[in-house]
Amino acid sequence: MPLFREGSAAPVANDQPAPLPLADWLKDRVGPAVALANTDDVNELQPELASLTLITLHFPRFSDGRAYSQARLLRERLGYRGELRAAGDVLQDQLPFLLRCGFDSFESDQKGFGEALARARTLFSVVYQPTKDGRPTASQLRLFGRRVTLSAAE
Amino acid sequence: MPDTHFYRYDEYDRRLVGERVEQFRDQVRRRLAGELTEEQFKPLRLTNGLYLQLHAYMLRIAIPYGTLSSRQLRKLAEISRKYDRGYGHFTTRQNLQLHWIKLEQAPDAIAALAEVDMHSIQTSGNCVRNTTADHFAGAAVDEIEDPRVWCEIVRQWSTLHPEFSFLPRKFKIAITGSPNDRAAVRVHDIGLRLWRNDQGEVGFEVIVGGGLGRTPMIGKTLREFLPKDELLAYLEATLRVYNRYGRRDNLFKARIKILVHEIGAEKMCEEVEAEYESMKDSALRLAPETIEAIAGQFAPPPLQPGRTRVPEVEALKLEDRNFALWLKSNVAPHRVPGHAIVTASLKPAGAPPGDASAAQMEGVADIADAYSQSEIRVSHEQNLVLPHVAIEDLPAVYRALDRLGFAEANVGKITDIIACPGLDYCALANARSIPVAQRISRHFAALSRQHDIGDLKIKISGCINACGHHHVGHIGILGVDKNGIELYQISLGGDVDFGRTALGTILGPAVPAEKIVDAVDALVATYLEARSAGERFVDTYRRLGVQPFKDRVYAAV
Amino acid sequence: MAKNLSGDLRVASANRLVDGMVVFLDDAGQWAERLDRAAVARDTRSAEILLQRARLESFGIVEPFLVAVSEGEDGRIEPLSLREKIRASGLTFAAIAAEAVRYA
Repeated sequence: MPLFREGSAAPVANDQPAPLPLADWLKDRVGPAVALANTDDVNELQPELASLTLITLHFPRFSDGRAYSQARLLRERLGYRGELRAAGDVLQDQLPFLLRCGFDSFESDQKGFGEALARARTLFSVVYQPTKDGRPTASQLRLFGRRVTLSAAE
Repeated sequence: MPDTHFYRYDEYDRRLVGERVEQFRDQVRRRLAGELTEEQFKPLRLTNGLYLQLHAYMLRIAIPYGTLSSRQLRKLAEISRKYDRGYGHFTTRQNLQLHWIKLEQAPDAIAALAEVDMHSIQTSGNCVRNTTADHFAGAAVDEIEDPRVWCEIVRQWSTLHPEFSFLPRKFKIAITGSPNDRAAVRVHDIGLRLWRNDQGEVGFEVIVGGGLGRTPMIGKTLREFLPKDELLAYLEATLRVYNRYGRRDNLFKARIKILVHEIGAEKMCEEVEAEYESMKDSALRLAPETIEAIAGQFAPPPLQPGRTRVPEVEALKLEDRNFALWLKSNVAPHRVPGHAIVTASLKPAGAPPGDASAAQMEGVADIADAYSQSEIRVSHEQNLVLPHVAIEDLPAVYRALDRLGFAEANVGKITDIIACPGLDYCALANARSIPVAQRISRHFAALSRQHDIGDLKIKISGCINACGHHHVGHIGILGVDKNGIELYQISLGGDVDFGRTALGTILGPAVPAEKIVDAVDALVATYLEARSAGERFVDTYRRLGVQPFKDRVYAAV
Repeated sequence: MAKNLSGDLRVASANRLVDGMVVFLDDAGQWAERLDRAAVARDTRSAEILLQRARLESFGIVEPFLVAVSEGEDGRIEPLSLREKIRASGLTFAAIAAEAVRYA
């Protein structure tokens, strides 16, 4: 299955070690790469989480959105900094959501996926919800705008 | 362009809606070119409000918190003419449906919506839907706070939410700002009720797991009192629990109400509170300035207090019996003296309930401009509301509505029927509902009789999905299909009014379409004979129980 | 008077992708808007073949399926189920007229 990362419309080489399914990884709790089912509890990866370089999350059907929650918990609650990969039924129209939730690599055999990835971050110039992708929300921009106006008026 | 007295889009809102139009335009292009299969495309078109129905695509246009400016209503009329067959249907979730849309034109139709700051985002699909409110918000006498401020806050938070766009199933939120719940909050996935505690603070009661459909349930209280600024964090916690644990194996068991039912309200509460505890200091806590900036846009219009008794009105009452009845049924008190809330009845006898032609929509927009601060509301009972009418203008408004055919004095009465589109339009339906509604409303058209019968809400659904809200009708009618014959199951005693939520009890075996009027006649006759002074139909039913009604109906059919 | 109500007669139907209109597969393998142009399968085997053909001709339509029909003495085809009758012939009541307003 082709692998995509931002920065390249063409598929990239898979240079990461093969992820272990969680049940296997839990035996020794070593190994830098884990694959979670979308029903697994991300907390089970603690405290070794900081040493992981790759976590793969799974979409059994693209309409099954459980991995979005797993992704946000890993990134935002547990502070995971390694590669977060989306695997399974991964389609380009989900990319804006996947990116915002913290995924940075994608396994997909959908035609045009790489090109869509290149556009996905700029498809929407405005976001309403804060995630860890660093984008200021409309609320924050409005607040900042108002405060600037207020201080300018002082 | 007149200033609205509700949220005005700024450049951020406009950009998002415009970019969404372009995203959808590209998705449609790819679908028509065969680059997307129907299976891949379906969720994409659903989250843009586009259903494939029996005869054509149906577009469900969001009317956030049921509030429209006259300019927006005119645009809806124009869109219905240009892209549809010149009429639309107002729904039980305060949206507008157009039933004859072409896929290839859908991007242009939603681009036209964007011109007046409207959209069809997330009006379908397994995501957070349009957050509905009390259609008298901002005008009602009993209001504690305007719920629409919070509907707007929830609207923004839920629009294109990256984590919650692929939920187990649809998710519907309703908010009431008044103890008399006109938003049916206890039959929503999440209901929010603003109330004032003993310390004088206003906060939310959070109710979870209500819903109609196959397994109707009344919601349970998750949190008695939630401070307002914590709303989004708490909703996020609840949605996360649902996203993670809601069932994905069975379409009919995937709503949050099933999760609550299966793990119990207490466990649900624990899960949500635990999740919420981990995120309480999150970026979702609403800054006071943010709340004020939005609340300020819902500041009431500058209405001059006036006289409650106006000579012209009093005179017309004596002259025109219909006007007198109309004042009783279609006009509600307003918080500003000398004003009133007028409901335009979209249920003229024999007409499809909740429908309006383009010309009628424009007519209502004109009346709103002249007499209601250019503002219109959509009720979840499929009527339109003019929220800010001066009492001295009531005769003029009455005449103007009458010319449109929207002045029937039947609001809340037996012919103010709520009916889903049913098998005439809908791919999900088992039976037709509109012809049943027409038959009943023609039979009971006589106004003085209707007023004698009093408040009586008939709600009709063409299938178990209950878009007609039959579970909460005083008389509920559910169309079923038995061996290719349309039959109708009658239930009694459902309610969502005055803060009281009850699900109806099934009367007995389903009756054929030709017998429906006889059945309703029998129900009404039972009530009229047995009622005590001041008792509404539903009160008599509660007092007597189902048996006398059942006996009478099955003797008649 | 309709003969052949046993459900042996079938036509293939779908909604057109571009506008959602109800269409029926005709003898030439084209999707026609009118039921009277539909190819009629008269037994189970022909029905299977008809559905296969419909699926092959699926560009431009959504999810074809078979509809049971009856045939009148005059050769008129009518769907057996109410739902399909409505799909073929439209609303069973008069929708609001476009100009239903009388302005004084």
